[in-house]
Amino acid sequence: MEGDEILMQNIKNILSSYETEYIEDYKTVWIKTKLLKSGDLLEVAKALKENGLRTISTVSATDFLEENKIEMNYFFEDLLTKRNCWLKCDIPREIELCVIDSITPLFVGASWHEREVFSMFGVKFTNHPDLRPIIVSQDFYGKTPFRKDFDWDAHEADIVTNMNTIVDSFANEELENDKKLDPHGSEMILNWGPTHPASGPIRLKVHCDGEEVLGIDPDIGFVWRALEHLVTKKDFIGAIVAVERLCFMDNINSMVGYCQAVEEIAGVEITEFAKYMRVVLGEVARLSSHMMGMAGVYNALGLHTVMMWNMDMREFFLDFLESYSGARIATAAIEPGGVRYSLEPKMLEELQKALDKFDATKEDIRSIFVKNPTMKLRGAKIGIISADEVLDYALCGVVARASGVKTDIRIDEPYGAYANITMDYITQESGSAQDRMIQIFAEMEQSVDIIKQAKKHIEAKVASAEFDLTKDHMVKVPKKLPKGEAISRVEWARGEVLMHLVTAEKATSPYRLKLKAPSFNHTMMLNHLLEGKTLSDIPLIFGSLYICQGDLDR
Amino acid sequence: MIFQLIAKVFRVSKALFIKSPATQDVRTHVMHQAERYRGEHRIDYETCIGCDACDKICPTHAITMKHLPFKKQNIVPEVNLSVCIFCGLCEDVCPTKPEKSIILSGGRYDMLSGGWHEDQNQFWVHVDIPQSYIDSRLEEEEAARVKKELAAKKKAAQGEKE
Repeated sequence: MEGDEILMQNIKNILSSYETEYIEDYKTVWIKTKLLKSGDLLEVAKALKENGLRTISTVSATDFLEENKIEMNYFFEDLLTKRNCWLKCDIPREIELCVIDSITPLFVGASWHEREVFSMFGVKFTNHPDLRPIIVSQDFYGKTPFRKDFDWDAHEADIVTNMNTIVDSFANEELENDKKLDPHGSEMILNWGPTHPASGPIRLKVHCDGEEVLGIDPDIGFVWRALEHLVTKKDFIGAIVAVERLCFMDNINSMVGYCQAVEEIAGVEITEFAKYMRVVLGEVARLSSHMMGMAGVYNALGLHTVMMWNMDMREFFLDFLESYSGARIATAAIEPGGVRYSLEPKMLEELQKALDKFDATKEDIRSIFVKNPTMKLRGAKIGIISADEVLDYALCGVVARASGVKTDIRIDEPYGAYANITMDYITQESGSAQDRMIQIFAEMEQSVDIIKQAKKHIEAKVASAEFDLTKDHMVKVPKKLPKGEAISRVEWARGEVLMHLVTAEKATSPYRLKLKAPSFNHTMMLNHLLEGKTLSDIPLIFGSLYICQGDLDR
Repeated sequence: MIFQLIAKVFRVSKALFIKSPATQDVRTHVMHQAERYRGEHRIDYETCIGCDACDKICPTHAITMKHLPFKKQNIVPEVNLSVCIFCGLCEDVCPTKPEKSIILSGGRYDMLSGGWHEDQNQFWVHVDIPQSYIDSRLEEEEAARVKKELAAKKKAAQGEKE
């Protein structure tokens, strides 16, 4: 047996000592299992952790109204040896009875995910250290918006009362802070955001003593659009416009993830041309996201030139997206069954123009900004994330790789045409704020390299008439899907996006879609990273984590 | 060292000699016009078959169907541009051939530029149908109805004979 198989067998051996409904292989790197007793969860989790699966990607609940149960899904991952375990168990649906052990004491990274399930489904986690509602505003406290029987219309109708609830709770919070903190002392609670120029719509409640940060409590949910609920109201094609709004900066890859899940349930294999187009479009979107992310951080440092240069380059890539799809930002260009539009050869010329622009500008950016002295002075010693913390908090993407962890879904679990593309892990060593910026720039170069490979392949196949540009982009996906579920992971601009799609019998719209987005985990780190630092470090560390509120709140 | 420095300064200073395209007024001259650009909708009431598919797929409910005084094909879409997200799904599902009845690709890019809009109504794609078209359609329907009645009568008369 090969090394990987032995490791997979180990997981199966652990699981088989508990009562399970089934233990089966799922895709290449997953083992899927369902526990019969939810009480076993903590022990299983502990055993898995000891076996190396020390990262929890997300916790997701699915509400089955007719079967009167809530199904919990845990996605355990091992970022080092690339073995993963998808663990399920049922708990009763009644609000008093839906209780399960919290795994947060074992996996710190599960903390916010469990809080999210608590606020959306009302599942109570025993022994959770800090079980407060998250994401939802105060008027949703104690309600369960993502349960199938939640009455959105009734909630909407009562908007005035809801508004007052929110306002009152802000006022109460202020009063409590006044009582708690000595009015003559130097301690105070500072609101960083939601309208700070470097923050985006997030409010960090910074407990500080003068300049020094004592602790940070992020208040998130300012752009909560309930995307996971919205997709269940649309058909499988219409859902792409909700999924792409995970974050506009890299909208293509989120749609790719969703479409892969739909195609898996429908049992449809897309054409090779569509696979390559998804790579090209995805990398273009990744580039445009990286350019903007990098620009934002340097902006916070007062170095505005890099933003101008990056935005200038980005326009060329957006020109390509516009020519291809008809929109620069919200492209809606990926549909279940392939890519939405046919390609015209002149679009590839436009892409070449963008690549040339990048090649012409990159040396300027590298020589002036990548090892910029201001960045070095301010960023090289703060915001340091160790490789252990990456594994514990389930960090991913740029942040994880900047700390030296070799994780990249494009290589770990290749999807689409990535299996045919030559690429390697790019990592940095120290994991500081500066390293993350160096990493972003290095990944931009990698993306350009990938685009060039894919473009070359497409051009060669077009020349040999193996790709028919006018009709190869789409295969038909049935309107009604069978009952099933699938998970799909993609390497998004900011890291791993995991989508868990559940469909009912003869479904015309998704029954449940869980979007696990990277910023959620990264924001969880903030308190840990900023404790003991000064107020002026907040924009830099926050920015360097490459957080977008779109996927933070969903 | 000095040479490198000069090379750097030279490379950066080349920016001074590039004629910046940013001096164009984007309200009047578009920087990049794509053929597929998803702009304002154009609705063809003559070919629209009133199937309601665009209304059904619209993710933001931006489309309302306007009722027409006909018996068949009696609805036609109107789009609220303040709600529309320009995803283009309505165009995708439109079944009419060869030209789609609702098209946004190749639409106007300068929708929002060019002064103030006082009225929300200016952000609607309304379908203005001339009275002459309505009259001719009504006449056609009337003629078809009369023809059908006559045919039915004739058939009934034939049946009696036999």
